[in-house]
Formats: sequence, structure tokens, C-alpha cells
Amino acid sequence: MRILSSRSTRGAALLAAAALVLSACSVQGGSGGEGGGDYPTRAVEFTVPTEPGGSTDLITRALTKSLEEPLGQSTVVVNKPGANGKIAGKDVFSSNPDGYRLAVMPQSLFAVGPLVLDDPDAIQLEDMTFIKGLAVEDYVMVVPADSPIKSVEDLKKAGSVKYGTTGAGTGSQLAQALLLGLQKVRGTAVPFDGGGPTLTAVLGGKVDAAGLQIAEAYEQIRAGELRALAVFSEKRLEALPDVPTATELGYDVVVDQRRFVAAPAGLPDDVRDKLASAIDEATRSAEYTKVLEDSYIGRWDADGQAVGEQLRKARDQFKTMTTELGVNLKGQS
Amino acid sequence: MDFLSPVLDGFGVVFQPDNLLYCLLGVTLGMLVGVLPGLGPAATIAILLPITYNIEPTSAIIMLAGIFYGAQYGGTITSVLLRLPGEASSVVTAIDGHELARQGRAGAALGIAAIGSFIGGTISIVALTFVAPLVSGFAIDFGPAEYTMLALLGILLVTTLGTGSILKSLVMATLGLLLATIGQDPLLGTARLTFGSDQLLDGIDFVIVAMGLFGVGEILYNLESLRKKTPPAAKVGSVYPTRKDLSESKGAIARGSFSGFLLGILPGGGATMSSMVAYAVEKKATKRPERFGKGAIQGVAGPESANNAAATSSFIPLLSLGIPANATMAIMFGALMLQGITPGPLLVDEEPQLFWGVVNSMYVGNLLLLAMSLPLIGIFVRILKVRAAILAPLTILITMIGVYTVRNNVFDMFLVLALGVLGYLMKKVGFEPGPLVLAFVLGGILESAFRRSMRTFDGELTGFLGEPIAATLFGAIVLLVVLSAVRALRTRKKAKNNKENDVPPAERRPEDRDEQRDRDPAEHVR
Repeated sequence: MRILSSRSTRGAALLAAAALVLSACSVQGGSGGEGGGDYPTRAVEFTVPTEPGGSTDLITRALTKSLEEPLGQSTVVVNKPGANGKIAGKDVFSSNPDGYRLAVMPQSLFAVGPLVLDDPDAIQLEDMTFIKGLAVEDYVMVVPADSPIKSVEDLKKAGSVKYGTTGAGTGSQLAQALLLGLQKVRGTAVPFDGGGPTLTAVLGGKVDAAGLQIAEAYEQIRAGELRALAVFSEKRLEALPDVPTATELGYDVVVDQRRFVAAPAGLPDDVRDKLASAIDEATRSAEYTKVLEDSYIGRWDADGQAVGEQLRKARDQFKTMTTELGVNLKGQS
Repeated sequence: MDFLSPVLDGFGVVFQPDNLLYCLLGVTLGMLVGVLPGLGPAATIAILLPITYNIEPTSAIIMLAGIFYGAQYGGTITSVLLRLPGEASSVVTAIDGHELARQGRAGAALGIAAIGSFIGGTISIVALTFVAPLVSGFAIDFGPAEYTMLALLGILLVTTLGTGSILKSLVMATLGLLLATIGQDPLLGTARLTFGSDQLLDGIDFVIVAMGLFGVGEILYNLESLRKKTPPAAKVGSVYPTRKDLSESKGAIARGSFSGFLLGILPGGGATMSSMVAYAVEKKATKRPERFGKGAIQGVAGPESANNAAATSSFIPLLSLGIPANATMAIMFGALMLQGITPGPLLVDEEPQLFWGVVNSMYVGNLLLLAMSLPLIGIFVRILKVRAAILAPLTILITMIGVYTVRNNVFDMFLVLALGVLGYLMKKVGFEPGPLVLAFVLGGILESAFRRSMRTFDGELTGFLGEPIAATLFGAIVLLVVLSAVRALRTRKKAKNNKENDVPPAERRPEDRDEQRDRDPAEHVR
């Protein structure tokens, strides 16, 4: 009997095989343990804890591209989405601390996540070796252009505000909940599944206001479709120089999303230093800078220690503020 | 002709040799990844993103767009030949397409799918060119309330998908809705039905449900019959659709293109909804609905035209509003950002070359895809000639790799096997996976949309009637329920009158129950 006889069948199989190779080109960190002296001797893998296409993905791909030269090795980006980053984190931080597997993690998982989800099994700050801060993404609160709400003060007049957020346990929700909490305005959070749907809803007037990252809202603000009420950064943003900060308006709400590179706990110091200085160089490349600028993402120039301090500070501060204001991110049904 | 001059300039961009080449590269890659279940266009585009850094923005997007709509062509192939739908939008194609393949008419199914895809895609591009600015508002008008009604309508349509009893379809749909609730609560973030496992925190990916129930289930079922006796390999038959197939599919292709274009504009479940709506419409439009599920060519033509038209029109929200309508569009958004272009309402005016270059490249891309897929059909259908003993393990292997690539997660591979066993058991006792899979997709949309609406309406159900589009859709749902109840009543009456003329037709109970059944999915959600 002829099996797989025709040439064409074999051709199809070959095509399939080629595509499989394309899809499966990921490098697994094998046995580690070699000394850090000649690190790195093989490709370094960066795990992105989100689907392809998000800003973490964007930043990581831009970083790794500029990193290969200072590191003297090739880099690989692997997307491992799930559980707000916990799946990727658990995977990477339980591996060998040899410097070949790193993760780009979000601050929200450690600072906002615990306010939403009780998780005895959560990743602890002690599970990680912080290598370098990467980026700060700020939030802006917007209303549709034809909304009667012209300023943050007008929110008080509105009586009850339905605000769109980019999801449960995001900075978008936290920032708006805290602002409205300080204003003593009754607010109802309407969480959407990410920035796109939130933007759609606020453009269509389905919610009164929304909290979005700058890149998500910028073009609409520029086109006059949305009005920016306030940004939740410490200082005014270059991209939106006319928009006041919440702090300026008398509401001390500073919420942002930060991304940093981390390795498993116990990474040898020399490996960490080598990685940190290579990443430092990569983040200064013209290409990486351009990606950040084009996406209205700020630079977070922090060393490993500063990253850890920022995470602790944000976690404690958000917890205190939500408790004091009686804002419950869990029970807003 | 002020309006047309940038459009024509766009053609100038497309016909630059290197852009033609990128277009060809894109659609070829797209078709390849479409053939591989699991590896979707979104992942492929993400992998290729670094390559596009150094290419002209327009060329880069032309190529990436080609991957996206090319994958729609390729996705049909595994749906028809192996009953392995790799995308939500090709689930309904698997129902009749695979039946046709079993009858030795795989070539006809694939041919009609390719032609329908081409026509659907092309109609959609023409419409995009002329009415994009007008209809882009449509995407914004759809908020939580409208999606609630749309998903409700979709779930009602699910009952038309089964060939067996409505009751069985509803049981499956209910199971699908239940599966959709696994994972983090969409509004509160609380973990539900995860049994403490992080792996289930994001719910089950659609691809895994579809490939498990359809693909793996089918293989297990076939292997069982393999033990008893070796079935003759399926006949391949005529490779191309006959004139009769074409004339039977004409109406289906036209209707599918229209509904696909409109629903594709909606962010979220647009393409999936459109293929389902197209299937349901065809089943209602035909004079012989009993052929659906048993190899009706319209059951392939309608949905395939629709999902391609939808793929094209899903560019409208991205390019004219800066809103990504689905996961692939979100990556496309990222690709544009990496090129220093942020898609938004001003894109058409500020970057006309890019906008029209990309739009017009789709004409060329669709033509290339048609030219490529028709001759390739002859090659692909030969897969069916391979003995089951060889094909089955190979298919499982490809499925497993495909499943792994979705999240790079081994857990998902076990999950797809478990769902495969479920699919096998369902097939043994006569339940069909179609309604389950689609209810699963719609369940996620329905739940979150309904709860978001409740928040915006302060918990008042009457809020739905205050939104014009939502109210209209609700009217359509009521009409559909009443109509099918009346029809069921009439056929029953007729049947009864024919059989026993002496019994008065006043026995209302069975009809009432029938009506109740139709309403069930709606009740279920409240």
C-alpha cells in the first residue's frame, strides 16, 4: 500500500513542518549553574506576561532588540499570558537563577492585585531579583467631547458618575476610584476588557468618564473627540502639557503602571550587574527611546534596589488610601 | 472627484513592486498559519513584528494585513478536511463542510469557500472604500446594552445549528454558557470555578474548546470505528465545485457578504457572530433546511463569505477610529505604533498613503489568495487519502503543538485531551458540539455585557428599552421567538390534522412548552 506516496502530500507536510518550526522557536533555559564569569554564553530569554500586542510586549521587543549588542548574545521573547502576569512570574521565578530566564513584570500585580484578589499563593517580592526599571505609563481621565463635565470639579455636580475602567484591579480603576472617593462623589466602576473596549465605550457616551493610558487616549484627545480632565502622574506630562495633574487640583492621587525586569531570587551579583548595565545601555539606544516616545511611555530609570522600594511604597500607599477612603475594589457590584 | 484622488493614489502605492511582493508574502504566510490550527494570525504577526521594524510602514502593514485575511482562507481547510476549526469564525464551516468532505465533496466545499471568501472580501473592501467614514460610528454606537442583545440573539440562533432536536441543542448551549463562566469574574476579578488553579484563572481559550470538542473528539470517534473494520479512505471526487454548486451558493454568498461587512465593524465577537448569523439565515432561506448539517453547500458558502467580509471590515474601527476590534487588530495597532504612527480619527487625513495603500492592497491580496487557493485545493484534498491510522496521530500531534502555541502552556494540552474525550462521549450519545462551542463564545460576551449594562442602568432592566439599537434588537428577539412558536404550532396542527382528523386542535400544552423552550436561553441569563 502506498503511504504518503504523492509528492504533493509530502510537500504539504514539509510546509506544515516549516511553519511549526517558525512557531516553536523558543529557547528553553536548560541546566544552569555555570559561574557568572563568562555570562552570557547562550541566548537570554525574556518572558512577557501578556498577549502579544500590549505595551509590555511592545517595550520588551524594543528592549531586546537593542540589548543584543551590549549583551553580546541573542535574545528571545516568549509570551506567556495568564492570571495578570502570575503564570509567567511563577514559571520564571521558580527556575534556576542563572540569568538566562528573565521576566518583564508589571507593578500592578504587586500593588493593585492584592486589593482585588485574595491570593495566598501570590508571588512575593522576595521571590525576585530586581534588575532594572523600564517604563512608566501614566493614566488620564477623559470624558466625551460633548459631555457637560468640563473639569474635575464638574464631577461633583454630576452627582453619580459611571466610569469605565480597563479592567478589575487595574490602575485605571484604582486612580478613578481614589479621585472620586476623595471628592465624595458616588461612582460606579464599569470595568471593560482592556483599553480598546474602554475607549469605544467612552467615545460612544456609554459611560460618563474613563481612565485610559496616554497612548490609548492621545489621538482621540488630539482629534477633539475626548476631553482630558486630569492626569494621575506626579508632574504634568509632556504629551499633554495643558492637562492638570490630580495633585495640582488638590486631590493627592498618583497612580501609574510601571514595568521592570526581574529574575528569580538568588541571581549572582555579577550576573545581575552585567545584565543591569547591558539593559541600561539598551534603554539609552535611539531606537528604544523612539518607541517609548512614540507610544507616550515614560522612562523609569531605576536600579534593582529602587524598583523594590517603589513596589513596596506603591503597595502600602494604595492599601492605606483605599482603606482610609473606604474604597473597595472588590465589592463594587 | 476630490474624494477619489487619494484612493487612486493608493493604487499607485500598491502597485510598487516591493509592496506587491510584501502583499504576496503576507497572504502566503497567512494561508499557511491558517492551515495550522491553534497558531493564529495574532501570534504570527507578533512573531514577525521585529522583522517589520526596518520596512516602510505602509509595506509592513500591507504584509501584516495580508497575514490576517490570508489566515481566514487557510482556516477553512482544516475545518473542512479534518473538522478542526482553528478560529471561532470557522466553527460553523466545520459542520457542513466536513460532512461534504465525508461525501467525497471536499473539493467543492473548499472551492466554494475560496470563491465566497474572495467575493465577501472584495465586496467588503468596496464598501470600506465608500462608506467607512459613515459606518465607523456604528462601532461606537455599540455599547454594553447592544452587545447584550446581540449575544442573546446569537444564542437563540445557536439552536438552529443542530441537526437533532432543539432540546439537545439547548442542553449543549447551556453547557457552553457554563464553561464560559470559568475564570476570573470579568467585573470583579474574583476567581470562579478554577478549583484553586492559576491555569484556569483566565478561563479556557476558545481554540482549546473548539479543537478538543470538534477535532480530537472526531478523531477518537473515528478510531473506534477503525478497530472494527478499516474504513475505505474517503473518496476525493471532483476537485472543483460544479455549476450547480455555484448557482446554489450565489444567494448565500451575497447575503453572507452583507451581514459579514456589517457585523465585522463591531469590536469583539463580530466575525464569529457574522458567520453564525449567515448560517442561520441560510438555513431559514433555503427550501430544504433538512439538508443543513448533512452537507449543504450553502452552509459553507454563507459563513465563509461572511467571515472574510468581517475580517476586512474589522479594519474600519482601527484605521478610522483607532480602536482595535480584535486581538489581531490590537497587534496591528502595536505594529503601527512601532512605526511611529498612532492610529486614530486623524489617520485618513494625515496618512492617506498608508490608509489607501493598505485598503487597496486588499484587492490584490484577495485576488492572489483566490489564485493560490484554487489550484492548492487539489493538493489539500489528498490529505483525505492518507490512511486514518496515519492521519489521526498526525492530526493529534499538530493539534497539540497548535494548542501549546496559544499560551505556551502545557496545561492547555491536557485540557484539550479532556475536552476531546468529552467531545467523543457527546458524539456517541448524539449531542453536537456546534451549539456548545458557539454558546461558549457568546456566553463570555453576554455575561460581561449584561453586567456592564446593569451597572450603567443602575440595575434597571428597563434601561435596555431606552437605547434605540438595543430596543430594536430586543424587538427582533421577541419577534423571532413568537414566529418560531407560531410556526411550531402550525406544523404540529397540520401534522395532527393529517393524522387524526377527529381530534380537536385545541391541545395547547405541547405548544406552550415549545415556546417555553425557545425562551429558555434568555431566562437562563437573567
